[in-house]
Amino acid sequence: MGCILIEGERVEVQGNALHLDGISKAFGPTRALVDVSLTVAQGEVHGLVGGNGSGKSTLIKIVSGVVRPDSGTIRIGETALSGVLGSRPDEARNAGLRVVHQKSSVFPDLSVAENLALGSEFPRRRFGAIDWRAQRVKASEVLERFGIDAQPADQVQRLRPATRAMVAIARALQDLGDDNPGTLVLDEPTASLPPSEVHVVLDAMRRYAADGHAVVFVSHRLDEVLSATDRLTVLKDGVKVAELSTADTDHDQLADLIAGRHVASTRVTDHVRLAGDGGPGLLVRGLSGGGLKHASFTVERGEIVGVAGLLGSGRSSLLRILFGVTERSAGTVTLLGRQLTPRKPIEAMRAGVAYVPEDRTSEAVFSELSLVENLSIAGQERYWRRGLLRKRRELRDSLTLIDAFGIKCESPSASIAQLSGGNQQKAILARWMRREPSLLLLDEPTHGVDVGAREDIYGLVRQAAERGTCVLVVSSDAEELELLCDRLVVLRDGVTVDSIGVGDRSDGRLEKIV
Amino acid sequence: MSLDSNVSAESTEPTAQRITARGGRILRFVEAYALLIAMFAVIAFFSLWPTTAEVYPTMANFQIIIAGQSVLAVVAVGALMPLICNEWDLSVGASATLSAVVAASLLSSSITVPFALAIGLATGVVVGLVNGFLVNFLGTNAVITTLGTTAVIVGVVNQVTGGSTQVSNIPTFLTEFGSGTWLGIPRLFFVVILVATAGHYLLEYTPTGRHFYAIGSNRNAAVLIGVNIRKTIGIAFLIAGVLAGLAGLMQVARSGAADPRLGDSLTLQALAAAFLSAAAIKPGRYNVPGMLVALFLLAFINSGLTIAGVPPYVSQYVNGIALISGVGLAVNLGRKREVV
Repeated sequence: MGCILIEGERVEVQGNALHLDGISKAFGPTRALVDVSLTVAQGEVHGLVGGNGSGKSTLIKIVSGVVRPDSGTIRIGETALSGVLGSRPDEARNAGLRVVHQKSSVFPDLSVAENLALGSEFPRRRFGAIDWRAQRVKASEVLERFGIDAQPADQVQRLRPATRAMVAIARALQDLGDDNPGTLVLDEPTASLPPSEVHVVLDAMRRYAADGHAVVFVSHRLDEVLSATDRLTVLKDGVKVAELSTADTDHDQLADLIAGRHVASTRVTDHVRLAGDGGPGLLVRGLSGGGLKHASFTVERGEIVGVAGLLGSGRSSLLRILFGVTERSAGTVTLLGRQLTPRKPIEAMRAGVAYVPEDRTSEAVFSELSLVENLSIAGQERYWRRGLLRKRRELRDSLTLIDAFGIKCESPSASIAQLSGGNQQKAILARWMRREPSLLLLDEPTHGVDVGAREDIYGLVRQAAERGTCVLVVSSDAEELELLCDRLVVLRDGVTVDSIGVGDRSDGRLEKIV
Repeated sequence: MSLDSNVSAESTEPTAQRITARGGRILRFVEAYALLIAMFAVIAFFSLWPTTAEVYPTMANFQIIIAGQSVLAVVAVGALMPLICNEWDLSVGASATLSAVVAASLLSSSITVPFALAIGLATGVVVGLVNGFLVNFLGTNAVITTLGTTAVIVGVVNQVTGGSTQVSNIPTFLTEFGSGTWLGIPRLFFVVILVATAGHYLLEYTPTGRHFYAIGSNRNAAVLIGVNIRKTIGIAFLIAGVLAGLAGLMQVARSGAADPRLGDSLTLQALAAAFLSAAAIKPGRYNVPGMLVALFLLAFINSGLTIAGVPPYVSQYVNGIALISGVGLAVNLGRKREVV
């Protein structure tokens, strides 16, 4: 591990905006990174991919000076960071590094101008008051320079998701001129964007690289990584398993590298359909409420139906109405011949509905409870016998579930927070499947889940369908809808506009309808 | 660690993680029992330190310590319940005082003894219900709400007592129960054992207890698994109120009087013990046995300091520092679990 900078090497790596060498980091007993090196040249878009827990986020934290590596060197531009001795965020920033995180990167309640100002400095008047007029002028300049379709006074939460992401990126880059290229790290900038808006961010990223900035792009979506990057680094279990030129690789090879095994890439759903057996399972007629205005569709028993539509098209409202979270204002729903009119989740649960929400961390996982407790929490009445929770039976059943759902864990009685995102998601799915629901609602079932676990989750959902469960999937990932679903329902502005079978559909057509 | 050693789908855990699993177990043991070990260390220290060695390790002193903590322990079990739901009840001390002064002043009137005690207990029920109602239906922050109810209760207490200690007509069987021992153990401590066992049972072996932890861990997620949030939080506040009421009666039995100024120190010490419970027995999680360990650790320290002749205000330092470090430990033990 080269902790010393050799003179000759310095010449050799001239033009490299970011150079990491032999970075290692352990958190207690967990080795998050082992001897990882990464070099990104000016004008290059470098993809950083890997499953959950592969060490990507730790690496980004180390680069940005938030986490201190145990060993290794970091150089940003011409500046060698003190690294092991303790680099600081402002040190990395002064060296020209900018990081845009997937979450909490904009302040939705504030205006565009305020958001931009929080990224650098507020222009001041005498006595220290903020000079808002100067700030608006400055914000207009930034918006124009980055080609963002927004006004300084616009409230950020009213912008389109892609524009919001662009504001976050512009905020990070605004004080780096063309004469002063920097290094931009984008941590899953497209994760919450609908398919039709992703290209806006990817195009912008390419443009910044062309201007001489170096870009590190982190994403779970392999198609994006393959289309937008020049080179790729693949991490697995904290180790760099491959560094390749994007032109030399393809989707399947990359998926295998990330998973560390061969991932079956089933392009067509091939599960056994029960169609016709149980007749119609879910009948929705003219359903309204929340962002949903008039939705009508059916899901047969054993069928997996995808809901396509942009953010704000009412797709999440649809699931939340069916689960009794959001109020229904009109329309009828029948599940297996019975009226479904839940006013709260418990009523929906009793009627056989299960709901895996979009935001795992804030709406599904109890991080202070153990894996076992997380698995049984939605149905613990069954262990409540003669005044006692039967913990031994609970544990035994949980072990069966852990096995059946392929959840990888160190100890079932340790906190669920120890698990990777993919395994947490499997646990949430297992929590609901143990109730043997007749309707399974999935909102972004593989959000923030790595490729290997994603395939596993698809398999588990198909198994559920094979048992006769009606499955309704909301996803902004076109590839996911294509892989998982038998049929798609398209929502636009809260109204169902089309229903497409998976056979007679190409990617292009979906994009057009949405 | 190369790719080859890790290709099989089953073994994706980093190798290093398995090697240090033993170290992790030792660490977990220390984490769970550190406060208990500290408690015995404190007892050993004051028993051997020449200044305190004569008085400290005696039956009489231990009886005083245990009896002295009984009222507090019952209040703390109550305070633990809303705390687990991530709602702080700051009114427990005031509520205990109210129950004590109401019971004591009724005992000096013509009302029968059981009725007086029942009404004392009922004041605790009322306080718990009011707190639960306000927090659930007005949606106000529990800290502010219970701070408000505390102020009102203090007002009621002063109205009932005129600010003076209630002493008259406490029946002797009550004071005998409060000051006597069975098998050398203060009788009041048997109440603590009962209450603590019931509390532990509720938290560990009933769906309601599990729901407390679920709400405290992730309220949004609790809604989405069908938990009735208002009812569950209401139950937590009700338990806090009932136990505060019971503690008030125990206080009357122990001292044969009801001091209107009892409340302030009770709330602070009960919350300190409740917070510190997340650092003992079941680290990262508020729990009844851990709370008892924390509470008696503080009691053994304070008793030793008092016997050593340290001025009384020093124990206030100890309690204050304990509250802050309890909150600090609870937050950080929880946070550490989310890092990996």
